[in-house]
Amino acid sequence: MKTKIILIYFFIFLGTNLFSQKKYNSILLENGYLHVGNGQVLETSLIGIKNGKIVLVKNVLAYTYNKSDWDTIIDLKGQQVYPGFVAPNSTLGLTEIEAVRASNDFREIGEFNPHVRAQIAYNAESNVLSTIKTNGVLITQPCPRGEVISGSSAVMYTAGWNWQDATVKADDGIHLNWPRSIEYRGKKNENYETQKREIYQFFESAKAYSEVSESDKNDFRFESMRNCFKGEKRVYIHANSIQQLLDIIDFAKKLNLTFPVIVGGYDSYLILQKLRDAAIPVMLPRVHSLPENEEDPTDLPYKLPYLLQAGGVKFCLQNEGDMEAMQSRNIPFLAGTAMAYGLTEEEAIRSISLSSCEIMGVGKTNGSVEEGKDATFFISSGNALDMRTNNIVLAFVNGKIISLNNSQMELYKKYTEKLKK
Amino acid sequence: MKYIFSLLFLFSFFVFSQEFSPKNGVEDSKTAYYFLTNATIIVSPTKTIDGGSLLIKDHEIIEIGKSISAPKNAVIVDCQGKTIVAAFIETYSSVGLPEPTSKGFSFQPQIETSKKGAYYWNESIHPETDPSLVYSINEKANEELIKMGFGIAVTHIQDGIARGNGSLISLGSSSENKHLLKPASASYFSFKPGISNQTYPSSQMGSIALLRQTFYDLQWYSHATKKDQNLSLNALEKQTSLPMIFFTEDKWEILRAAKIGNEFNYHFTFFGSGNEYAAVNQLKNLKGSLIIPINFPAPFDLKDPYIAKDVNLSDLKTWDLAPSNPFILKENKINFSISSYGNKSQDEFWKNLHKAISKGLSPADALNALTVEPAKLLKIDHEFGTLDKGKKASFMIYDSNPFTTKAKLLEAWLLGERKVITTLPKHDIRGKYNLFLDGKKYPMEITGTPDKLNVKIQTLKTGISKTDTIYPNTFVQLVENDLTLQFNVDDANFDGSINLHAKVNSKLGIFEGDGYLPSGKWIQWSAIRNDKPETKKEDLSIKIDTNGISNPWFPNVAYGLDSVPTKQTIAFINATVWTNEAEGILQNATVIVNNGLIVYVGDSNHLLPLNAKVINARGKFLTSGIIDEHSHIAISKGVNEGGQVISAEVNIGEVLNSDDINIYRQLSGGVTAAQLLHGSANAIGGQSALIKLKWGHSPDELLIPNAPKFIKFALGENVKQSNFGDFNTTRFPQTRMGVEQVFYDGFKRAETYQNEWKHSKKSSDGLHNHHLHRDLELDVLSEILNGERFITCHSYVQSEILMLMKVADSMGFKINTFTHILEGYKVADKMALHGAAASTFADWWAYKYEVNDAIPYNAKLMADNGLLVSINSDDAEMGRRLNQEAAKSVKYGGMSEIEAWKMVTLNPAKILHLDNKMGSIKIGKDADLVLWSDNPLSIKAKVEYTIIDGEILYSLEQDKLLQARNELEKGRIISKMMESTENGETPKPFAKKRRKHFHCDTIGEEGSEGANTH
Repeated sequence: MKTKIILIYFFIFLGTNLFSQKKYNSILLENGYLHVGNGQVLETSLIGIKNGKIVLVKNVLAYTYNKSDWDTIIDLKGQQVYPGFVAPNSTLGLTEIEAVRASNDFREIGEFNPHVRAQIAYNAESNVLSTIKTNGVLITQPCPRGEVISGSSAVMYTAGWNWQDATVKADDGIHLNWPRSIEYRGKKNENYETQKREIYQFFESAKAYSEVSESDKNDFRFESMRNCFKGEKRVYIHANSIQQLLDIIDFAKKLNLTFPVIVGGYDSYLILQKLRDAAIPVMLPRVHSLPENEEDPTDLPYKLPYLLQAGGVKFCLQNEGDMEAMQSRNIPFLAGTAMAYGLTEEEAIRSISLSSCEIMGVGKTNGSVEEGKDATFFISSGNALDMRTNNIVLAFVNGKIISLNNSQMELYKKYTEKLKK
Repeated sequence: MKYIFSLLFLFSFFVFSQEFSPKNGVEDSKTAYYFLTNATIIVSPTKTIDGGSLLIKDHEIIEIGKSISAPKNAVIVDCQGKTIVAAFIETYSSVGLPEPTSKGFSFQPQIETSKKGAYYWNESIHPETDPSLVYSINEKANEELIKMGFGIAVTHIQDGIARGNGSLISLGSSSENKHLLKPASASYFSFKPGISNQTYPSSQMGSIALLRQTFYDLQWYSHATKKDQNLSLNALEKQTSLPMIFFTEDKWEILRAAKIGNEFNYHFTFFGSGNEYAAVNQLKNLKGSLIIPINFPAPFDLKDPYIAKDVNLSDLKTWDLAPSNPFILKENKINFSISSYGNKSQDEFWKNLHKAISKGLSPADALNALTVEPAKLLKIDHEFGTLDKGKKASFMIYDSNPFTTKAKLLEAWLLGERKVITTLPKHDIRGKYNLFLDGKKYPMEITGTPDKLNVKIQTLKTGISKTDTIYPNTFVQLVENDLTLQFNVDDANFDGSINLHAKVNSKLGIFEGDGYLPSGKWIQWSAIRNDKPETKKEDLSIKIDTNGISNPWFPNVAYGLDSVPTKQTIAFINATVWTNEAEGILQNATVIVNNGLIVYVGDSNHLLPLNAKVINARGKFLTSGIIDEHSHIAISKGVNEGGQVISAEVNIGEVLNSDDINIYRQLSGGVTAAQLLHGSANAIGGQSALIKLKWGHSPDELLIPNAPKFIKFALGENVKQSNFGDFNTTRFPQTRMGVEQVFYDGFKRAETYQNEWKHSKKSSDGLHNHHLHRDLELDVLSEILNGERFITCHSYVQSEILMLMKVADSMGFKINTFTHILEGYKVADKMALHGAAASTFADWWAYKYEVNDAIPYNAKLMADNGLLVSINSDDAEMGRRLNQEAAKSVKYGGMSEIEAWKMVTLNPAKILHLDNKMGSIKIGKDADLVLWSDNPLSIKAKVEYTIIDGEILYSLEQDKLLQARNELEKGRIISKMMESTENGETPKPFAKKRRKHFHCDTIGEEGSEGANTH
């Protein structure tokens, strides 16, 4: 059976229901303007998906293929194809309504909680989550918030039946909140050195523990950090000021962390060379935020991505801050603003797709539309980085077409009907 | 007559006996006259007598002049080389009074007064406070002030909004009966509620409203025939005829206090905060005088650049300019008194006074500000302030002119009571001596300063192979002419401690006295000077340098402008113009601005004015400025008066802060006007301010002239305090049911109130009807009933929206705007019937329970149902991206670009009833324009120019220049700061003021930092 579909504007409402009833094993997408995610563009692309994997990415004009090899062929002429956007460092799935305590699952008690895991608290059925995918954000990273080490995050799809199905990577890294060199109230933190020493001690002990084989599992905390020294597990270190960042570079070196990542890094633009040399990537602060200091350029937060790009430091965007869960759907527009303030369009796209996945350690399978990767991408009828034209008509998560419907659309439909009467 | 000085510590003579107290023993003896002669007498700021004399009897100056002679029975005090200056007058002190103590913090809000007695209903209004009842002499505190040169002070308990009396005291210590001069000498006011735990007022605008209401209460109370007893108002009535001193903490607070003064025709004296230099244009026209502190800020410790980087430029500017405050005020002909307030020690006070003088304040002006001015304002200039004949004998004797040199205070004369502070400098015994001990000679050298001597005695220790010269540690003490020496010797002569005492003859350089040798032998000893060192006289004069004075910026923060911006003639040519009018989008068009207005919109065939700044806008987009219907920037000290459930009496317009950096940031996002709303902590909040973002102007100049009146209402979770923690469960209402009743109750009271006023006649002056009791809250509610004030109501869910429209319909008023209105789409039809407009967020939701059904299609659905819809920010950050927020309605629901754009320009103008002046590009409208690099709804659009009333307040080009200038200025001041630290100023540890922003639910005077629920 072969289905030929032309995508139309309100495909979202009609199409997804259609798809959900059938199983498609081999899909060919023709003629889409493909933003690969790695900085490349294929203006007339051919994308083939089989068994959930991308098996073919070619220029349609320079490739001959047999249409009968595919059970579904979709013509994307005039449409744009993007890798699934990523919302790293978020509480998405761990909260529903922040003011309602019972709905919050992101802050655990305790100073050092590397063993506390976000993955299993991730609510795949969250109403908030359902509005995120609709804007093209298909991967997220639920992160515990808390004291010194707040817990382990996970890389998750924004669509799935349950956390198990939605997992891209469990326990991808632990989150360390570096002490503030300057406290909230603006005073110099007199205990900074002591607090730093505590972190060193904890990590040194964890490192020593990791030297003994895995059969000796007797400490949940240290066990959860074993791979920070031996494997791929990230240590996400949250910090912003230059003092903190330099101390973190030292820390990562002394502890020989395999994958340190700075989350925040407002001052990173001042130490580009050092970050580049240390090969520490940065998850930049929310682009749509105000400058920290009175005399900072008004557009400094908008320009940070460009400054890091120009300085050769690996980075991606994230969205931590006020209403961060709900705001995750605006990640595409953060990249849009970064584009207006210096990044090229493809660099901007990379900063919310492949770069994010690489930093989280899932770049080999996710983050771009390339042969061999998991099919997690979407089609927009217009430029997805501009709020006027971000209009997702079709999205694949791990090779499956997902429903783009959400509770807000339901209410929209319901009251459109009601108010017509 | 030197012997007088050599008397050790002459303590106060009791010049008077206590008049009524019975004496134990015979009457105290009295000195008939004192005759101080050969002095330099600074009689007044304009008159100095060299070699003058002063004749004093009891507490009065009997005679002063050059050629007066002493009566025979006068004690003569030779003041050769000394300077006599009138005692300074401190106008702001709490000396001799107990500290106000709070009852302690409680989680439970205290809504009513806890003070027992027939007093005012609010604990921060306590004019009945009478410090004279609790005044007792605190000699230590007095002495600190005396050492600063003060002899007279007004002391009051520094707490509350109406604080009570200040008592005039002399700083002498003989008895309260003598030195408490006037129990009620002044009255004190402030905007700070102080130790009161009552929830109201919790914001500065609340304090303003409370004080105004108190004065209206007083007006009525003074004339009312049928009234209850109120001890607070009784006291306040008397105080309005005293000098009224108003404490402020910022230059703009002075203007706020002045408005209250003008309203009630009170002549306040304003106690300033030291940053008045940044408001001279406004303060020039101030009615009433100023008192300024000279507690100049200490430099920051900025050695570490990682710390220096985080210090706000405005804090650096403040440090740089503060010492020039007195000079700049004088330059601008603004009179002031100086207070020692905030100086913790006499050293600090004199250092700061000298700093002010070194920055250009003339010694005469300094003296004037410390004596004549305060005497005038306290109405005691017939007794104090100068050293004229007949005035009180309250003055200080210094060893030199204290204004031009670092002088020492020698004596204080307080109402004729003499108090010796410092005896003459010690004898200078420095030099080389031979010390003779029991026939043995030791070379001795005395170095150091007269205050801190250093003695080196040379002894020889003979060892086996060589002889070492040893200088033993030597203790030395010189009191007057008594010298004590002690040292340990181990030589051929002695082995052990030598303890010596001698009388000093410094003129001859001889010490003679007695002592113990280590052997216990009592000896006579002596020392004779054989060489006197050349002593360099320490230069104590104050250097004056006015070259380094920088100018304040407008405002005096980063990105402040060098001068107040002015209207320009501007022509945009070749622009794509989004007119928001029937013409739609014009291509290659010209728009001309003159005198703050748009004077031409059309094709390029128009002649450009010769003086016009021509901006070539080829490829760019010109629009009218963005109007933010819901903003909380540029507000001082509290956005919510949540202390009461109805606070209609408070007004955001009274607490504008034109220094807020967010004004500039929003200009960079194309915002030109905003409605600054009260928060949503109560059902009927406060009055809004409709402003333009006129960077560089004063608070009042931000206000849009003749703007319609607005007030904020609120419904839902914030009003019922759902998210305010478990302790906030006692204020009515706690449910939406209660909220309805608050409205009915308020408007019913307003109706009754209005009727009373309608049926009464005006008093003869036509202004106030004293027989009726004016109520500021009900005044405002009446305006609503009369259709004179529009309502913007914070609202979320459909039930409460319907409820309020029903209340309004039944009470005969209208809801102009529902703001937030995230469930507006559910009841858009009913809102259309009522005639309400909607101002909403583009896509916010899920931050609290009542926004669970918020959808981003809301704006579109409401617009489709005929509602006037705008998109607002309610957020300092989002405020500068409202173009993007508007663009979201193109995505969510498919609104056309023009309609989406109108939601942040023309629609809010209409909602705010400002569309006759703003919201579109049309001849005759205000020149509030923005030039964009791209289609303004595009994610790529950047603002290149923002113009308000024809003033260019932001441009990319200017922004670059300002950034470079900020950098230079920061570098300059940091260098200066480090230099001052090297020169001995003690730096204070760095403390950065964090950026804080007000949101709907922010309680208290401080902005919030963390999450908020809007």
